[in-house]
This record gives sequence, C-alpha cells and structure tokens, in this order.
Amino acid sequence: MLRTLTAVLLWLLVSAASAQDAARTTDELKSLDQEVQALKKEVLDLNRELFVLEEELLFPANTQVAVFVSMDVGEFFALDSVTLKIDNKEVANYLYTEREAQALLKGAVHRVYVGNLKAGEHELIAIFTGKGPHARDYRRGATVKLEKGVGAKYVELKISDRAVRAQPEFIVKQWE
Amino acid sequence: MKLSRCAVFLLALASGLALTTAAARGRAVAEQPLVGTPQVVKDLRWGDVLFYFYQGEYLNALTRLSAAQELGYLNEHALEAELLKGGLYLSLGQHEEAGRIFRALLNDNVPLDVRNRAWFYLAKVWYQRNYFEEAAAALASIRGALPGDLEPERHLLEAQVLMYMERYDEAVRVLERWQPVGDGNDVWSAYARFNIGVALVRQGRIDDAVKLLDGVGQLPAPNEERAALRDKSNLALGYALLKADRPAEAKQVLQRVRLVGPQSNKALLGVGWADSAQGRFTKALVPWLELRDRNLLDAAVQESYLAIPYAYAQLGAERQAAEQYMLAVNAFAEEQARIDRSIEAIRNGALLEALADHDDERAGWYWQLKNLPDAPETRYLYHLFASHEFQEGLKNYRDLRIMQRNLDNWALSIDAFESMIDTRRRAYAQRLPMLEATLEGVDLDALEARKNELESRIAAIERDNDIVGLATERELAQWRKIEQLEAALASADRSDPIVEEMREKVRLLRGTLLWDFNASYKARLWRARKDLRELEVAYREARRRSVLVERARDEYPARTEEFARRVEQLRPRIEGLRARLASTAEAHNRHLASIAIRELEAQKERLAAYSLQARFALASIYDRAASGKSGGGE
Repeated sequence: MLRTLTAVLLWLLVSAASAQDAARTTDELKSLDQEVQALKKEVLDLNRELFVLEEELLFPANTQVAVFVSMDVGEFFALDSVTLKIDNKEVANYLYTEREAQALLKGAVHRVYVGNLKAGEHELIAIFTGKGPHARDYRRGATVKLEKGVGAKYVELKISDRAVRAQPEFIVKQWE
Repeated sequence: MKLSRCAVFLLALASGLALTTAAARGRAVAEQPLVGTPQVVKDLRWGDVLFYFYQGEYLNALTRLSAAQELGYLNEHALEAELLKGGLYLSLGQHEEAGRIFRALLNDNVPLDVRNRAWFYLAKVWYQRNYFEEAAAALASIRGALPGDLEPERHLLEAQVLMYMERYDEAVRVLERWQPVGDGNDVWSAYARFNIGVALVRQGRIDDAVKLLDGVGQLPAPNEERAALRDKSNLALGYALLKADRPAEAKQVLQRVRLVGPQSNKALLGVGWADSAQGRFTKALVPWLELRDRNLLDAAVQESYLAIPYAYAQLGAERQAAEQYMLAVNAFAEEQARIDRSIEAIRNGALLEALADHDDERAGWYWQLKNLPDAPETRYLYHLFASHEFQEGLKNYRDLRIMQRNLDNWALSIDAFESMIDTRRRAYAQRLPMLEATLEGVDLDALEARKNELESRIAAIERDNDIVGLATERELAQWRKIEQLEAALASADRSDPIVEEMREKVRLLRGTLLWDFNASYKARLWRARKDLRELEVAYREARRRSVLVERARDEYPARTEEFARRVEQLRPRIEGLRARLASTAEAHNRHLASIAIRELEAQKERLAAYSLQARFALASIYDRAASGKSGGGE
C-alpha cells in the first residue's frame, strides 16, 4: 500500500508543482476557444460598424463639433470636472473618476462633447474645477470664439503646467 | 499635447499576461517603448483611444480604434495604431487575429526590439492557450536578447513550452544553456532550476534532479514567494527520493518544508512515510497524527487517515488500527456526501455565475479570478480554479457575457437610430416645399446675363475712353440738361446778347462737367472694375451654394435611405450574435461545470478507493482477530 499511495502523492505533488499542470482537456477547450474567437471577432467587427454608423448618422462631418480634454503633467492641477457651454447653453458637465484622470495624465485625450453646430461663429466657454496648487479648490474658465466651417471642428482644451509661476495653464487649440 | 508613451502600452500588455509562475506575477516587467521613442499625439482620436485603453476598457478602446482607422482619423499614428490593435486583440484573447496583425507588421521596417517583443507576447498568449507549436515558432522568431527581465522569462517560457510538448531533454538544455547567465540566486534562475529538476524527475534522472532541487531547496527565502518555491522544491525532491527508495535522505529534505504553509500537509505525510519505510512506525505516527487534525479536504490529510491505522497495524496494535480504520471509513463517507452536495450545486449552475460576477467588469485575459466567492463547492475546487484551463475558460465566459451586455446596449441604440432616420425623413418632407420655392425664386442665369452685360459696358467705356459713361445718375441728369439747353440755344437768335450770355454759361457748365468726368475717370474706372470683380465672386458663390443646395436636396433622401439600409442590415446581425453569444456562453458554462464536476468526482473516487482500502484492511484485521492471530495493542 505504501508504494501505491506514495506514487499517487508523487503525481499529485508534481502536478501541483506548476500551476499550469491542471488536467487538460485540450481538444475540447481548443474547439470552444476557436468558436469563441470567431464569435468575438464578429462582435468586434459589428461594434466597429455600429460605432461608425452612429458617428455618421448623429454627427455628420459638416456639422460635427467635438471638444477634447487633455492634460500635461498635472503637477499644479488635479482635474475634478469640466463644464462646457456653447452659445451660452450648457452642453456638457463631466465629472472625472480617478481612473479617468490617471488616463489623462498618461497622455490620453478625452472627447468630452460631440454635437452638431451650424456654420458660422459660436462661443465656447469651458469651466474647469479641481484642486490647484497646495490642494486648494480651483476653478477656472476659458472662452473661445469658434468659426465653424463646412468640415468637422475639433477643439482641444489642454491643461498644462506653467512651472515658472507654479500655476496651471488652460490652453485652447482648434483643429480642423 | 502630452507625450503618449507606448511604454505604457507595453507595460499594460506585460502586466496583462498572466505569467507562468507566481514569481513572475509579482514582478514588474521592464518598461520599454514598443515604438522606439515616445510619440507625440498628432491625432486627437488617437488620444481618445488611449483614454479607454489606459483604463483597461479594451473592448471600448478596440472599437474606437477600428472605427477611427476606418474613418481615416489615425493617419499620423498608423503603425502605432496597428501595434496597439494587435495588443488589444491579445488582451481580448484574440490571439489568431493578433498573430495576423503582428505577422503583417513585423517586417524589416519595424525596429528589431519591437519585433522581438511582439513575438514574445504572442508566444505567451499561444502558450496560455495551449498552442504550443505556435508558441515555439514565435519564440524561435526572436532574434538576439530581450531587454531586462524579459530575457530570463523568455527562456523560462521556452522551457515550459518544450516541457508541455514532452521534449524534456530540449527543455533541460534550454534552461542549462541560460542558467549560467544568472548568478544562481535570482528568482528566475531559481524557478528555472526547479523546473529543470521536475523535468529530470519525470525522466527518472533522480541524481541529476537532486543537484538542482537541493540547491533551490536551500536558497535564502527573504519573502513568501521565495519561501513557497523553496518548499515546493524540497517537497518535490523529498518525494522523488522516497520513490527512489532513499527514505533517510527524503526525510532530511522534507523536514526543511515549513510546518505551516501550502505544502506542509504533503511534507508531514512524506516524513511519516520516510520513517515508515525505515521501519520506524512509532516515529511515523507523530506527523500523521498531527495531519489527522487538519482539514480533510486535503489529499494528504485523507491519506493520513489510512496511514495511521497502517502504522498501528505494523506495530501490532490491531485494535487501535481497527478503530482508526473505522474512523477513516466514516470520515470518507461524510466527505463523499459533502462532495455530492457540491456536485449538485454546480449542476444547478450557481457556481459559474458567482465566479464570473466576482471582481470588476473589464474584459480581457488580463482578468484573473483573484477572490473566490464563499460557497460550499468552492472549497473543494481551489486547485481547479488555479488551473490554467479553468481560468482561460472562465475568462472567455466573462468576455462573452460582457459582449452580450454590449450588444444589448447596441440593440437599444438601433431603435434610436431608426427614430432618428424617421425624423430625418419627416424633416426633409417638411422643408422641401420651402426649399423648392427658394430655389425657384432665384434666377441665377438672369443674374449672370446682367453681370455679363455690365462687363461689356465697362469694357466699351474703357475702349472708347467714354468718360461720360462712368457718370453718376445726378451727373448724367445735369449732362442731359446741358445738352437740352445747347439744343434750345442753337436755334435761338445768336445776336441777342442774353442768348449769347446763356450760351457762354452753358459752355462753361459743360466744360466744368467734362473736367470733373475727366479728372475722376481713372478712379471711377478702377472702382467699376473692382465692383465687377466682387460681383463675379458673389455670383460664383451664389452659383456654388445653389449647386450644393440642389445636390443636398437630391442626395439627402438617398443618404437617409442608405442609413436606413445599414440599420436594417445591422439589426438582424445584432440579434443573431446575441443568440450565438448566449448559446456559446451556455456551452462554456456547461464545459466549465463539467470540468468542476469531473474534478469533484475524481476526489470522490479517490475517497472511495481509500474507503475500500480501509474496509479491506479492517476485514483483514477482523479476519486475523477471528482466527486468533492478533495481539491486543502496542
């Protein structure tokens, strides 16, 4: 009996030695895996098509206006929220989660608003709230005149650090 | 724009890969940018993709990336976008698609370092998915050394792959070839030597295995990870020595295992067997009796229930042996009943739901089951849950569920799209009459004719030097008045002094007017030409707008119907995929439940086998007692 039991345990032991060594019903898993992969691919393709349709249907290029928020360094400003007004009408009020703010600090850009505007001149007001230098509550606004042409209009609201004055700086950049 | 560091992409990829060992999981992988140097974000849409990517929302990031590529928004980041796409496919377990992208990208135009990393990650995914041939081929595509910690990990991976392909000698050679590079004290080297040792045990090369496993088993253990590895190594070596009938050495090695830890039960059992093999049954009872008070879920504890009466029997204590066998039979029966209840619970489908709902919502094989739900069946399945196959299946199941929810949302959006299209149709029908009226009210051809006529007139004035031609209305009226006066005076009596005076005054007036015309002619001609040019610009703009409006009028319904057609085509695809996702998720559910049940049944069978052995031993004792051959105790 000793030998049998020891052999059983040795097998258990060796199999436990590597976490990868579970019993592998490999063929069944592979077949399911391939099916799942094919299915996921179809879902991903469908997602892309739906996303493009949504964009083209709801925000055609000739009227589209999108506002993006980006951050540079962020030493002097921790972003809490952004409020946007276009032609004195509030169009977005976005509260950032910690995870989103971290993504911005890594260099990502957030499309905070997308909508439609007629060609011509418009006014955009952006209000940033957050924690400024010395963790004090901070609120700053920026106003910009937009000249909407026939193509899509992108506006980037960039929060930057002005090291010389140890203050955040809010820069508005227009992209065609 | 802040630098978007593709290094973060790689770091995420690296941390996304569930590494082969607990050691690897705890270690940060050196950050190296995938695309040479940090890149400035030149397309806002690229930054938008990164926004979701950095948050671990890989499905969302991939959707946005693919859409932005299709809409031509990522032209400035074409290479990075493809690389990230490959990475995102990897993160969603789409290794075939990722492989296709990487293979297409990884040519001589891409830096060698980038290519090597891509192949390395690809190899890891294929390994995770049990595609060992593909993993080996990807590893073989790496040229030169990988940076930092990736290089030892690569060798470890290569050895693991070879081991799973049952090419043990090659696996050993890979690790031996690499081993001298390390100082023998780093964790990668320790894992490698452990793995070589196990491979050698599998080949029956115990003496070779002893050298390696003994070394790892005596390494300093400054942390839990290292201590656990040391325990594993000592345990593997101890049992290998037991099997080789070298119990004294085995005991020495097994006693190095910590008394409290994941391997302690097996070590205690082994120490007992080592003593037992040397005929020291009283000594053997010490660790086994310690084991008996531990959790019966553990196979080593179960085995101790048989080992104790075996030792008593060997010592001639047949009564105690019989009691202990009875205890074992009862304990095994109770445990089997508990396992039956767990199997029933799993058949009812509760297990997978509880597992998949645990932890957070984000998709991808980055996800791992970290906390087990508190359910009766989970305590039997710790080993199974830690297994690669189960984790992979569970990840797929979660991904399918996340995609189901994603398509549920799109199904709602599709309804909204249809309403939107209806609104477009109605708005067009309402605006059309007004539009038609406006277009009809504007005669651009007549406008053009008038413009042309004006051009001709000014050209004639210039050619004939017709200074009067540019006179104002008031000046022209004065000019005509003078001409009338001249005509009237021409027929008047020229001898009359009053007439003569009048003629002189008219002549003076005519001269003054001509002087004015002449003096202002150039300025007037310049202004006329300028006005003409402005007229031309305005006319062209009117013509262009008219064309645009007409085109919009003609094309708008067609575009609306095109949207309607797309929506119409997408709806059944959404529905079809929702159904397939549901059935595939169900198939996964069944598959994983069957693995869990198989595991539980194996445990039950082992208990049944133990129980049978106990009953058989008990019967033998009773038999001997009946025939008067036994003693009454120790």
